[in-house]
Amino acid sequence: MKSLHVEGDTFLHRLPAGLKLAGLAAVSLLLFLLHSPLLLAFAAVAGIGLYAMLGLGWRNSWQRLRVILLTIVVVSVFTLVINSPVDAAAVFFRLIALFLFAATITATTSTGDFIAVVTTAAKPLEKTGLITASDIGLAIGLVIRFLPEVLDRYQAIRDAHHARGLKPKPLTLAVPLIILTLRNADEIAAAIDARGIRSQK
Amino acid sequence: MDIRFEQAEARFEGRTVLHPLTLSLTERRIGVIGLNGSGKTTFARMINGLVLPAAGKVSVGGFDTSKDGDRVRALAGFIFQNPQNQIVLPVLKEDIALGLSTRKLSKTEKQEAVSGILARFGIGRLADRRVHELSGGELQLAALASVLVTRPDVLIMDEPTNQLDLKNRGLVEKTIHGLEENIIVISHDLDLIGGFDRVLCFHEGRLAADGPPGDVIARYREIAA
Ligand SMILES: Nc1ncnc2c1ncn2[C@@H]1O[C@H](COP(=O)(O)OP(=O)(O)OP(=O)(O)O)[C@@H](O)[C@H]1O
Ligand SMILES: [Mg+2]
Repeated sequence: MKSLHVEGDTFLHRLPAGLKLAGLAAVSLLLFLLHSPLLLAFAAVAGIGLYAMLGLGWRNSWQRLRVILLTIVVVSVFTLVINSPVDAAAVFFRLIALFLFAATITATTSTGDFIAVVTTAAKPLEKTGLITASDIGLAIGLVIRFLPEVLDRYQAIRDAHHARGLKPKPLTLAVPLIILTLRNADEIAAAIDARGIRSQK
Repeated sequence: MDIRFEQAEARFEGRTVLHPLTLSLTERRIGVIGLNGSGKTTFARMINGLVLPAAGKVSVGGFDTSKDGDRVRALAGFIFQNPQNQIVLPVLKEDIALGLSTRKLSKTEKQEAVSGILARFGIGRLADRRVHELSGGELQLAALASVLVTRPDVLIMDEPTNQLDLKNRGLVEKTIHGLEENIIVISHDLDLIGGFDRVLCFHEGRLAADGPPGDVIARYREIAA
């Protein structure tokens, strides 16, 4: 799986992660309040400009973005058929802007910083006495870390079916996947204890 | 470093896996050998309190594993049989910094500690890599770095070379031999522990031999025959 994060030291990389994520939330809200295709087109151009600041080049950018860009085109075409050209233009530019802003923020924020922001944002929840903010941050890191491994394992189980000439069925795929994942989860939990990552509460 | 077992016993679901054991470990380099299922991993996990004794007592540096688990784990670092499960964040340098998260260090101090430990194992180039993409040998070195960055007094390694190819095995062996820390190494790789100060051999949940490598390895060969 390709990493969403792009190493670098641009102005955007240096901005505090909390500011970037708060900004992204505000911009997203604004984009849904706007309906003028012209204003949304300006936003889309701003999104393109921002993404270009990453300096990835056309080819690399296209590779990273194409799947979602094509999805946006499909959604816009549907809107064109069902609603009006104006609606379709608004949807197209809004989604382009939204997606490019989000992609830029993801590309310039490391998981560590992202976790730190989430942990800070979750601090007020600690008052409920049900959770620890740092655990929420760690949980997000764990999901990002182990999702590719779970997908690999799914592939491996499917390959094992093919190799033995068995037809993969949802049940025979899911059961070993769940068992293997749970066994891994036990080990990961033991490792977190052993490394003292959660030791001081 | 002083690790003590006093009539310590391990049971899983009522089955005794490690029979009552009394010993004291003070040597700098200790090897642990034995057949599959003989209780090596259980023994090692008892040292850092991941497995607690069902009877008896285990202590590290005077701290009881049943009472002072956090203190014991700060003294005794552990490398698991499966190193990929102990690296819990997606990017290596972030994971290593996470081990320092409960210490009161500034961001710069943390960064220095992280790059220092990566340089020590010659894996500075892996700092920004996705953990998911690392090879077996790289993962083993990464796991070493992630544990040693917290400066434990003793490092326990569960079969550090068993999944590696010849080249990486050589590299990890060399790294282990170069470690200045106190180490306890579980291994089926008899060359690796041949030069150690003391070797323990487990058989069916009991300590079957304990002493200098030559004698204990000879006893192990009899058991395996
Ligand atoms: N969590 C557990 N629950 C139940 N039984 C366990 C558990 N962990 C270990 N055992 C059992 O305890 C015994 C000793 O296992 P242990 O993992 O300590 O052996 P080992 O010497 O490390 O073997 P190997 O060389 O295969 O790693 C085995 O019979 C094993 O099935
Ligand atoms: Mg074992």
